[in-house]
Amino acid sequence: MRLVAATVYALRIPFVESFRHSASDRRWSDSVVVRVRDDAGHEGYGEGTPRPYVTGETVETMVDHIAHELWPRVAACEFPEGAGLADISALVPDTRLAGAIAPHATRAAVEIAIVDCHLRRTARSLGAVLPPRRARVTYSGVITAGPIERAARHARQMRAVGLAHVKVKVGFDDDVARITAVREALGPGVSLRLDANGAWTFERAVDVLDAVAPLGIAAVEQPLPRGPVSELARLRQATTVPVMADESVVTLGDADALIAEKAVDFLNVRLSKCGGITRSLAIAARAFDAGVGVQIGSQVGETAILSAAGRHVIATLREVAFAEGSFGTLLLAEDVSVESIRFGHRGEASVLTGPGLGIRVIEERLRQRAVAVRELTAER
Amino acid sequence: MNTSHGTLASTIEALFARRVADLTTSAEFRALEDGRATSAQYDAFIENVARAHLRSPQLLAFLYALAPPAAAGTLLENLLEELGREHESDRPHPDLLRDLLTGAGLAHRRPAIEAEADDDIRRIVVDPLLYGSLREVGLAALTEIVAFEYMLSRASGRIGRALFAHRRVPAPALAWFTHHSEVDIRHAEQGLAGLDAYVRYYGFSDDEALTIIEMALRENVFARRYFRDFVSPAVA
Ligand SMILES: [Fe+2]
Ligand SMILES: [Mg+2]
Repeated sequence: MRLVAATVYALRIPFVESFRHSASDRRWSDSVVVRVRDDAGHEGYGEGTPRPYVTGETVETMVDHIAHELWPRVAACEFPEGAGLADISALVPDTRLAGAIAPHATRAAVEIAIVDCHLRRTARSLGAVLPPRRARVTYSGVITAGPIERAARHARQMRAVGLAHVKVKVGFDDDVARITAVREALGPGVSLRLDANGAWTFERAVDVLDAVAPLGIAAVEQPLPRGPVSELARLRQATTVPVMADESVVTLGDADALIAEKAVDFLNVRLSKCGGITRSLAIAARAFDAGVGVQIGSQVGETAILSAAGRHVIATLREVAFAEGSFGTLLLAEDVSVESIRFGHRGEASVLTGPGLGIRVIEERLRQRAVAVRELTAER
Repeated sequence: MNTSHGTLASTIEALFARRVADLTTSAEFRALEDGRATSAQYDAFIENVARAHLRSPQLLAFLYALAPPAAAGTLLENLLEELGREHESDRPHPDLLRDLLTGAGLAHRRPAIEAEADDDIRRIVVDPLLYGSLREVGLAALTEIVAFEYMLSRASGRIGRALFAHRRVPAPALAWFTHHSEVDIRHAEQGLAGLDAYVRYYGFSDDEALTIIEMALRENVFARRYFRDFVSPAVA
């Protein structure tokens, strides 16, 4: 298989509700979708969500990096017909981007698009190469920032939807009151996690966690900013709440360092952040071997494309402690696929079985929602 | 949530009123009324209104199937009215929306809008259910229908006048708006009573019902439907 053309769509899809995140104010999703086309006219879609505070990428650098670095190199590749997932992925190069930890959103978008296209060529599902170990997966709800009353209202709504796992964003002045209100609204039967997005200092983390541990907290995600692994390890010793790394684990090297220092109980593996499907699987495998739990996370504002890829990864892994994503139109004013990716009651969603990622992307909608479209062709 | 200072119906009505204000104070709505919207924005708005309501008969029929006895009569009346079967001279409401498109010079857009309306209904049918049973699904759907009636009773006259003044849509093509500004005052009141009856009949607690109602009426629910590119104001 050779690729002959690609289209890069910089999307801006409004969120159903505006919300705050400890690292930014978000009113629409910033997501970049890549469509590749092969020499036989098959197409594949991939997506990455560049976040300056996660990988150091922006929409602009991502579009640029695809056009100038990744596309020319993958367009020059011959992807062998019988190649497996790992072989395909290995042909997507690792590149560097000044100022970024790694241009992983960029790589994820390109890798996923090529994998989707390659599978569609032979009408195979991603599930054929990543065999699902379960027929359905169960997602967590995520309560974003905003006034406590709103957080509690969202918690009640999640309870009404029957969610078994909920995560609440923290890192504000009112964290203890916030977590208490959310726990009260959820009732005792729902598993509750925290995500500080690196907003706490060591002392603040210990104080808040001491105060809320009796409420039953399944994990705290990224309590401290990405930085020395030893600090996270020290915090893990200082609290009874299990610690999860998110922003601290972007690369396989990050994962190895966290594991070696016994700094974490869980790793949050996200496809866009970690550079695509195979990189994410590699980090998850490293975690399993070390007895560290895995969360397959998502990017707030991802479309059905990243959620579909995530669904396959969640379904195929031996053990997934927590899964996130597939919010679809619960979060986005409109999604981009014919099929709804959104989870249903109890956060459950079925494994996807259609060709490639298992969804049909509505190209016209990408164009409607794009603030920039870049057409690329192979030069030969 | 605190309902101690009011009945469930008055709490719901206050929520409706807040959502109507979200719409009518939005920059997009004000631009329509001030005549500052571009002609493309007026066209998109008209198309979105048609898309949002073209399949109302199907939704009402679904709700009638779940109607509590105390609200079945008014729901049936609404359905027949929507179908243009209440009086001899009436037209089905979807036809009034088609008249709107034609009168606005958007007849050529009709096939695409009909297809989008069909796709919206298809999604309602095939999307995984968020709730555990039809009891909750029906409450969410009824909330949305009643909320739109409530909003239209307050805003559709204004919308019709704006389209007449600034987009030069001829008055006969605006019948859908004039009709809803008149009848929906009555509908909206019956609708609130119907919601209350539904909640009682299906044995919801007030808190349980309000949770689902609030979820159905997330911020800018109307603006979201009428202005597809609507972006919520920044979090205060
Ligand atoms: Fe009507
Ligand atoms: Mg996180």
